[in-house]
Amino acid sequence: MTITAENVKEKDNKKGDIMSGRVIVITSGKGGVGKTTTNANIGTALAKAGKKVVMIDTDLGLRNLDLLLGLENRIVYTIVDVVEGRCKLRQALVKDKKNPNLCLLAAAQTRDKTAVTEEQLRDICEELKKDFDFILVDCPAGIEQGFQNAVAGASEAIVVTTPEMSAVRDADRIIGLLEAREEIKSYKLLLNRVRPNMIKSNDMMSVDDVVEILSAPLIGIIPEDTGIITSTNKGEPIVNDEKSLAGQAYRNVARRIIGEDVPFLNLEEDTGVLSKVKKFFAGLIGKEK
Amino acid sequence: MKDIFTDLYNKVLGFFKQTEKKNDESSKEVACNRLKFVLMQDRTNLTPELMDRMRKELIELLSKYVEMDKEALELGFEQEGSQMALMLSIPVLRAREEAEIEATLAEEDAKKAKEEADAEKDSEGEEDESNDSEAQSDNEADTEEVEAEIEITEEPQGQEEDSENNNSSGEENKSSSSSKKTKTAKK
Repeated sequence: MTITAENVKEKDNKKGDIMSGRVIVITSGKGGVGKTTTNANIGTALAKAGKKVVMIDTDLGLRNLDLLLGLENRIVYTIVDVVEGRCKLRQALVKDKKNPNLCLLAAAQTRDKTAVTEEQLRDICEELKKDFDFILVDCPAGIEQGFQNAVAGASEAIVVTTPEMSAVRDADRIIGLLEAREEIKSYKLLLNRVRPNMIKSNDMMSVDDVVEILSAPLIGIIPEDTGIITSTNKGEPIVNDEKSLAGQAYRNVARRIIGEDVPFLNLEEDTGVLSKVKKFFAGLIGKEK
Repeated sequence: MKDIFTDLYNKVLGFFKQTEKKNDESSKEVACNRLKFVLMQDRTNLTPELMDRMRKELIELLSKYVEMDKEALELGFEQEGSQMALMLSIPVLRAREEAEIEATLAEEDAKKAKEEADAEKDSEGEEDESNDSEAQSDNEADTEEVEAEIEITEEPQGQEEDSENNNSSGEENKSSSSSKKTKTAKK
């Protein structure tokens, strides 16, 4: 067997030698647009695809990522314990119930945003890069210190927004701030809670409208899905539900992050009576030709 | 046969379309327009008052050269990729006669000259000359830009030779064309 570059690389990985993970911050400006949900789902999907993933919740005082993953009862140490030296970084990583590739570094619920500095977060990310393929940083809402901290260690960003004016406006602000930070090499837009029926009746901005207004590259379109609520209730990310359309959309985002070329889901395809009638007649005309 | 079906198809389609809401402007369009407007302010720090002032000043300036529909003058920001461009659209009603333009400018120049003379009485400036030649060269280059932008065939400034005070109007010209062309990178 000849030794190719690929073989060498494989060996290195097996030995657990230098890995250089990608640090992606998931941010939005506005609260409630689905940052944490996005984080939990993309993280889970990446782990399901065989990647080693760690998620960092930087929303100190308002942590929720643990709930979405159903890990709230397993947290022993938090990120604040790590920076204050009460435990090793590795000890604070909580393993996912199902997927051993997935870990969570939880936020402290009893402290505020000043408990961790930009420098400390950068160091943590650097350390985690050695052992993980992906480090997903869940950013708090707002543009204050919490945001600055979360962005500090990242080199990529996903800006979550919805087709609502306030969310788009805040996303624009966030994009402006991300562009001002040299360490952020690229950012992508994830359009969440899209309602195809409302777009069809011109009661909601379309994907194209939002992309045009923000002029940012798109990485995902997630349809509004009541399943998100039930999956949060259960502490189980929706990507684990093979039938869910939102789950499918999140799995596609994960594949795009890995570098696959996955077409966007066609959400415009509707199953209403009108379209069926249209199709029926269109079919008849077609046959006549 | 095909015609019958096509006709039927269109009729059925028409029937369904009638039942759909018919608003002049959908809420989506309202949202897009409001959002574009508010983002323009966010990105440039230009308040509606400032935009209004800019608009007024531009009208004042440009009216000297063309007769335009002041009400229909559109001033706004447009996005070109990641860059923003300040776009000015001016419906030109009529190109002014050369003599008309000259008269307006001469009148203004006279006014400026008077002001300057008044100012000189107060403080006897001596370093004027170097500034003059500089402004003159700027003037020529920028005049062409204005011409291209407004798209009128007549030369808006055929009065270069008329007085030594030309530089004052030239300076204003410069500010207008550069503001028209201003592209601010997104913050």
